[in-house]
Amino acid sequence: MKAVARLVWTYFTGTPVLRACTFTGLALIALDLYFVLTQPASGEKLWLAFLGLIILFVGSSLMPVTFGRLARSHSVGVLPGGRLKLLASAFIAILLVALPVGILSQGVVISGARGSLPELMKDPRMRDFILGVAAVTFTSAVLFASWMYLAMWFLTSQRNMAGLFKGLLVIMLVIFAPARELQDFTVSLTWNLQQIAVLWFVFGAGFLLWPRFKAVRARRAHERFAGLARVFTGRMAGREFDVLLGTANPWLLVAALALPLLLMARLVGDVPSAWVFFLTIFSVVTGAYSGQAAERSRALWLRGDWSRAELFVAVERSIWRHNAHVLGALVLAIVGIGLYAGFPTVLLAAGFSVVVLGAVLSTYLGLMITRGLRWLEIVAGVVVMISLMGLGMVLGFEKVGLTTVFALEACMIALAMAFRYIARRRWTQLDWMVCRPDRTLTARGA
Amino acid sequence: MTSTTVEASNLRKAFGEKQVLQDMSFGISPGDVIGVLGKNGAGKTTLLELMLGFTAPTAGAVRIFGHESYSLPGDIKARVGFVPQQDELLDQLTVADQLLVIASFYRRWDSALIDRLCSEWGVNVNARIKSMSVGERQKLSILLAFGHKPDLLILDEPVASLDPIARRQFLEQLLTLSTDEKRAIVFSSHIVSDIERLANRIWILKDGRLDWQGDLDSLKESIVRLHIRGAGPELPAFQIPGVLNARRDGAFATAVVRDWTPEAQEALEKGASVQIEVEALGLEEIFVELHR
Repeated sequence: MKAVARLVWTYFTGTPVLRACTFTGLALIALDLYFVLTQPASGEKLWLAFLGLIILFVGSSLMPVTFGRLARSHSVGVLPGGRLKLLASAFIAILLVALPVGILSQGVVISGARGSLPELMKDPRMRDFILGVAAVTFTSAVLFASWMYLAMWFLTSQRNMAGLFKGLLVIMLVIFAPARELQDFTVSLTWNLQQIAVLWFVFGAGFLLWPRFKAVRARRAHERFAGLARVFTGRMAGREFDVLLGTANPWLLVAALALPLLLMARLVGDVPSAWVFFLTIFSVVTGAYSGQAAERSRALWLRGDWSRAELFVAVERSIWRHNAHVLGALVLAIVGIGLYAGFPTVLLAAGFSVVVLGAVLSTYLGLMITRGLRWLEIVAGVVVMISLMGLGMVLGFEKVGLTTVFALEACMIALAMAFRYIARRRWTQLDWMVCRPDRTLTARGA
Repeated sequence: MTSTTVEASNLRKAFGEKQVLQDMSFGISPGDVIGVLGKNGAGKTTLLELMLGFTAPTAGAVRIFGHESYSLPGDIKARVGFVPQQDELLDQLTVADQLLVIASFYRRWDSALIDRLCSEWGVNVNARIKSMSVGERQKLSILLAFGHKPDLLILDEPVASLDPIARRQFLEQLLTLSTDEKRAIVFSSHIVSDIERLANRIWILKDGRLDWQGDLDSLKESIVRLHIRGAGPELPAFQIPGVLNARRDGAFATAVVRDWTPEAQEALEKGASVQIEVEALGLEEIFVELHR
């Protein structure tokens, strides 16, 4: 228990900045809770709580990183109950992050009411209603946070095709499932608890049994995949640069996107805006490959006749050779689905440009990462994702002016150019002592 | 063509406020085999990576074959080999494929040498890198740095993961390579006996500075242990120049000193009326005494 508590404490207070975020977030939430409990119609002060929640979430951001590192480490295998304690600490951290959402949902419920919370709670029916909403909101938040952290873990810890594929599937589920539940009014406390139980049981069993599974797999997998690997390795002559950079085989990524696309066809149907929205996410993930380029290029530096600026150009070309295939597949998907479902041509054209913009923006954002992830890159990443998703949704509106769409796209093109400029400048001063691979590279493109 | 392989002047490297290397000046000539010694965090990796142009110096400059290391041209890079502390192998490839990939970057690649070394070192070229042990991966990293027969070979703790037999084989190969007088080798290691056996020059890094640079014999002559015996029951008071560590016990004293010379010995013997016996130290003892 002591180890679990220590881990949870570390997730929220591991660095001075995170500590400050955690306590500031908690203070803001507590302040809002005070208003909810003591003042009637305190809805206008809810922004304090939302701000506090966001800050608290940032404060807990060490959790996925620490969890991922420890989970991958050999040392966790020799610590008494190491994996179980790690799993418990992650679950508790998620409960803690979600708890304020449940508590503050009461504030939302009574925001327009005339009485304060204690007064309203005197009425048994009102009390049941408020507590019911709090429980559903809390469990929904636990579920959502669990999925989000799972997606983050897949995308960041397994920086290969398998991780990307799993991350995409989780993101799709996270976006699609709650929306469907809200539409169909199927959200209930029991249903949420069942989902949490199944999710954590499956993840927990997988996590705890992983070392055994790994040992069995290591014995069997080698020969099974040797033939497949030979097919890929046979195609690498003349593309050694791409092999070292990990961009030699875009078809693997195209193949990894195929199943989510098929699932989308089943889930989304013929809603144009939803298609643009999801394909934009796919294109962003495609471009995100470039985030590893700087650290991988260290192996290339001593092996070619290029300066840092020339290396940037060579890397950029290699990445676009790779991304062009994937973008081509996505564009084909848009056109095919659009023609099949009879989407308007204007929407198809606009959707196409959003998907391309998603790949361009994320590619240059990735190339900007030459000193690890810092605030600028995180903020830029969030802004890009929100803008692209917003644009994808705007396209679905019936009365959207093309001028507005083009203006937004022009802004994004300008942003992409700014990203490229920053990336190019950073690469001319690339320092591989700061930007070094922290783990063994994986040859995706072999 | 310049005759100096590497030249550094007033080299300084800081990461933020932290000074990692300070005021380093050195030269490396063809035929030099330099062993770099230092405690953890002394700046060995930083120094080696500065030489390779992976990072820019905060002040000063490093030149490799006359070119600024931070912006090395391709023909100079082709003359440099590097074995990193942490391997940069591609997990999904086989050893043969990895060798092919790296070989394709160089005009001159000695496949015969690599084939021979693979056979001697027991490296299975058909093995998938993912399934290899740490030691096997290290062997492969070393092979990748040898293949183009570099004129400057830089190795950052190359033998840390090797078993004693593989270490011996590797050192023998390095000895063979070092007999070629055109080649310079710089390697860092914590295994002092390897450095003692192989290096003809020693660099000792301490607190970000080159505390010692010179050949091994000079180092052993310079840093010695003195056994001092007085004429009476108690040693008289005297000062020992360059003392690193001293202990007195009645009529006897022992002291480890640096920059020791026969002249200094003669002066001390006459001045303090003592008898001095000089004991040569091994490299490991010297290293420990310098860091005491």
